[in-house]
Amino acid sequence: MSGISVKNLSVYYKDNHVLKDVNFKAQNGEFVAIVGKSGDGKSTFLHALSGLVPYSGDISVPKNIGMVFQNHAVFPWLTVSGNIAFGLEYSTDEERVSIVHEHLKLAGLEDKKDKYPAELSGGQVQRIAIATSLAHSPDVLLMDEPYGSLDEHTRGNMQKWLLDVWAKHRKTIVFVTHSIEEAIFLADRVSVLNHGTFTHEFMVPFARPRREEVKFTTEFNTLRKDVFEALNTPATTLANIEKRIPVGPSRK
Amino acid sequence: MTSKVQKILIVVPILTILALWEVVSRTSVVNPALFPPASQVASAFGNMITSGTLSSDLSASVWRLLAGLCVGSVIGILLGLLTGRIRSLAHALAPIIHILRSIPPVAIIPLVIVWFGIGDGAKIFSIAFAVFFPVWINTHVGAEQVQRVFLWKAKLAGLGTLATIRTIALPSATPFIITGIRNGIALAFIMIFVSELAGASSGLGYRISITQLAYRIDEMIAALIVLGALGALTDQLFVFGTRKIFPWLALS
Repeated sequence: MSGISVKNLSVYYKDNHVLKDVNFKAQNGEFVAIVGKSGDGKSTFLHALSGLVPYSGDISVPKNIGMVFQNHAVFPWLTVSGNIAFGLEYSTDEERVSIVHEHLKLAGLEDKKDKYPAELSGGQVQRIAIATSLAHSPDVLLMDEPYGSLDEHTRGNMQKWLLDVWAKHRKTIVFVTHSIEEAIFLADRVSVLNHGTFTHEFMVPFARPRREEVKFTTEFNTLRKDVFEALNTPATTLANIEKRIPVGPSRK
Repeated sequence: MTSKVQKILIVVPILTILALWEVVSRTSVVNPALFPPASQVASAFGNMITSGTLSSDLSASVWRLLAGLCVGSVIGILLGLLTGRIRSLAHALAPIIHILRSIPPVAIIPLVIVWFGIGDGAKIFSIAFAVFFPVWINTHVGAEQVQRVFLWKAKLAGLGTLATIRTIALPSATPFIITGIRNGIALAFIMIFVSELAGASSGLGYRISITQLAYRIDEMIAALIVLGALGALTDQLFVFGTRKIFPWLALS
């Protein structure tokens, strides 16, 4: 199975209850975006899914997980090819060369294969990070604010590139972002993480493949407003919602 | 700045010092027997070359230096990586290493002579002992400070402790290791001089010691200049070599 199922997940950092009894599901091949404010536990949720932090509760995820971390987490001492080949030690030489070649092509960085990350632009480095995660053929790709440090133009290009990659590979993707616009543009579903728990969920009704123009439609802006309001729901109101998750416009 | 100007800026101070040295010594402002003119030192230097004493002293000192430097560095790097990444090992070994580190390296020479005699083994051991500590402590700090996200990537790739140390901790700690070895080179030059003063029949330290007894101040100064030049050359060659082997360091 390549989907994700999470039941009653809790994560503590010392005395801080970061994730509180979280439930979550993602279907095989689904693209789910998670939005939330800083410190609300978005990154921690991904870290728990990938088994990088201790947690309580039930998490069911495929064994083979790819993770794209914040802030260009690529190895500065390896070339572009070396970064993509990292962790492929168990493959034969032939397989490794073929995988690296395929993912260099995917990232559009064939001519930069011998360059070091410090010689590339932010967008190119993030493409390596994503290509590196895909090189292991993961069943699930977890992406933690991968475009947070990119300028608007590069970010737009990277979003289109990611949608193309996703269309080709159809991996289950959980994409954490601060940007509501980015979440709606990329995902099938947007989940709102508020104060350590999922409080709202919105189905994204726009057909694929998506074009940038969709961002300027009234429907897009209405949905953005709904997500924004959900994101800014005061903690006192959330306490009354309890564990009910209101599902937004389901017009898919 | 053009390369011609740079060369002038290097050569002019050297020529000025040589000229001042010659004048001060020749005008008997100081006792020329104690402070022979530069030309006399140059002549003694020429004699040392033609008689073959310089080459035999140099080769003896360089061999001991390189052997001690390599042994001390390799042990320092290996142990530093292990103590930097395996906390229990660091706790177990830290008190012993810190006590040994507090001993001035030159203080062990009498004991080393008792243990190893006056052959090359004693000198190599003394140099390795001195070099080990700065290399170990720098490697330890570098391995301890590996970015958490790099360790997570290794964990997700299924790497074990030793593979993580080899593929993540070692390259991450490389800038620290280089600093440690450069400090080690400086200490190695102190140790080669001191260890050859007592119980040696060749080497630059021996030459300096024997020329003092023979009252050949010109040869003594020539040997000191060679020792200084060798130190500077070793350091510069090391820096040049690290830039060639680790080109990414200059980029980050």
